[in-house]
Amino acid sequence: MVFAVVVIAQLLAFLLALAPLNGLTADRWRELGLISLFVQWAALTSAGTLCLARPQLARLSNTAAGLVAYLLMMLVLAIVSEAAFHVMELLGAGHSAYWHAHFIARNLAMGAIINALVLRYFFVQHQWRRNVRAESQARLQALQSRIRPHFLFNSMNTIASLARSDPAQAEAVTENLADLFRMSLSDVRNRISLGEELELCRRYLYIEALRLGERLDVAWDVDALPTDALIPPLTLQPLLENAVYHGIEPATAGGRIEISGRLDGADVDIQITNPAPEGTTQRPDGNRLALDNTRERLTACFGPGARVSIEAEQGLYRVGVRFPYLSPDNRPDRPA
Amino acid sequence: MRILVVDDERLARERLRNLIAELGVGEVVGEAATGRDALEITARLEPDVLLLDIRMPGMDGLETAAHLAKVDHPPAVIFTTAYGDYALRAFETQAVDYLLKPIRKDRLEQALQGARRLNRAQLGAVEEAGNQGAPAPRARTHLSARVHGDIRLVPIEEVLYFQADQKYVTVRDQQGQVLIEEALKSLEEEFGERFVRIHRNALVARRALERLERTGTGRYQVKLKGIEERLEVSRRHLSGLRRLMRG
Repeated sequence: MVFAVVVIAQLLAFLLALAPLNGLTADRWRELGLISLFVQWAALTSAGTLCLARPQLARLSNTAAGLVAYLLMMLVLAIVSEAAFHVMELLGAGHSAYWHAHFIARNLAMGAIINALVLRYFFVQHQWRRNVRAESQARLQALQSRIRPHFLFNSMNTIASLARSDPAQAEAVTENLADLFRMSLSDVRNRISLGEELELCRRYLYIEALRLGERLDVAWDVDALPTDALIPPLTLQPLLENAVYHGIEPATAGGRIEISGRLDGADVDIQITNPAPEGTTQRPDGNRLALDNTRERLTACFGPGARVSIEAEQGLYRVGVRFPYLSPDNRPDRPA
Repeated sequence: MRILVVDDERLARERLRNLIAELGVGEVVGEAATGRDALEITARLEPDVLLLDIRMPGMDGLETAAHLAKVDHPPAVIFTTAYGDYALRAFETQAVDYLLKPIRKDRLEQALQGARRLNRAQLGAVEEAGNQGAPAPRARTHLSARVHGDIRLVPIEEVLYFQADQKYVTVRDQQGQVLIEEALKSLEEEFGERFVRIHRNALVARRALERLERTGTGRYQVKLKGIEERLEVSRRHLSGLRRLMRG
């Protein structure tokens, strides 16, 4: 911030030194020195004053704060100009009263324009930052519930079929579906334990298994995972949904999804493997979406310590998720 | 009315069967879990109506419908789908009926009563719709040909080569050959990833390439895995083929 003020002030000083139409080069260098000194002095004092006044300014509305800041900057400029004049007098410049008035008036006129530009710049930058923040918030909201509509309607169809043939199972599907959607609608900053997330994954797969029958085979190897690790809800479920959508549904014979995980040092490491039926490897469209979704949610929660990796080999597609192990006891007090 | 229910999910088939039984508008003469089975049963039982799921593994509903055009008496087709398939808009413009799952009983009744046989143009448009809206270019999984009034399906991964001859293209697989009425150029566009052009009149499967041979007259021919006949390689495609076989 201070550096930016210094640079801008210096550029302004160059501009002012270059502006006069007459004058020799040697003179300009001398003038540049004086102008720089004055402009830096005025700029840094203005910036300092505004910093000191910040708590008071923050309480005002945007317009009022802008106006007060502007008047403060003009006041600082007037005082600095006056002080500069007196310094010059002490050094024996011997200017007339007319020159004094002209000097102050000219500085204030230039300052009126430049201060307005500077405030405008900060205002625009402030707006821009606010937009960016609002946008990322909206993005996060949009990211939170990415359960595919496809899955919702298929499940509804499953319930409709089971309602006659097996009402008890129809009930179970309805309950599981409700749990999944309740979680997808929960607050984005919410954290759940890995145990809860795995339970959600089981409920999800229970529904899919009814629909896909023998085509879906699931192998769990998650006993070594710390169930109390905290994660954003529905971090793993979309990856399983992906695995079903791209790995099982397109295959006439179905296939096996493997979920394995362990604690690796201070990191939780989870891998989800599914067959990659021919033709699906060339269309990563839907895949990307769920992966980016999980990646962004993990990054929003854990920062750069979280990683999502993809491997495709020998007809298998493997997604790896790695993130720091935060248990409820050692959870750092950090906003999402 | 004789109805064939086609869906890869058992519960979905079961539900349709129940609804149709309750409506009393017709009887379910069969069920199929894949597009291939659907075509085979259709040829055998000649149902009046097909309730055809769009999203199925292997041959999907749209492709199945396109192959139906080759049956002697193509049945009426009502598509079913769970959610916002990209083909729905085309169905509307082509007046092709479709049902959204979970299917409502009254809607099903209405569709069955209004079920009409689709003409070739409609079936073609349906297939095309799948290509237009799809996120990636869709290629058929099978080719179909009429053989003595039946449909003969050839899985595209089993095709060894295509050879054009005037109006027809010969499709050769391990079992033998069938004739289809398609242009070599459009086959090349659709299956370019699997096949390579070796002559003005021939495309061969990349995976079937075995070796390049030089004949006594200075021409080149290619030997394919599993079959004895050789195909001529034109001068123009020789260097490209050499590169492919080396790499």
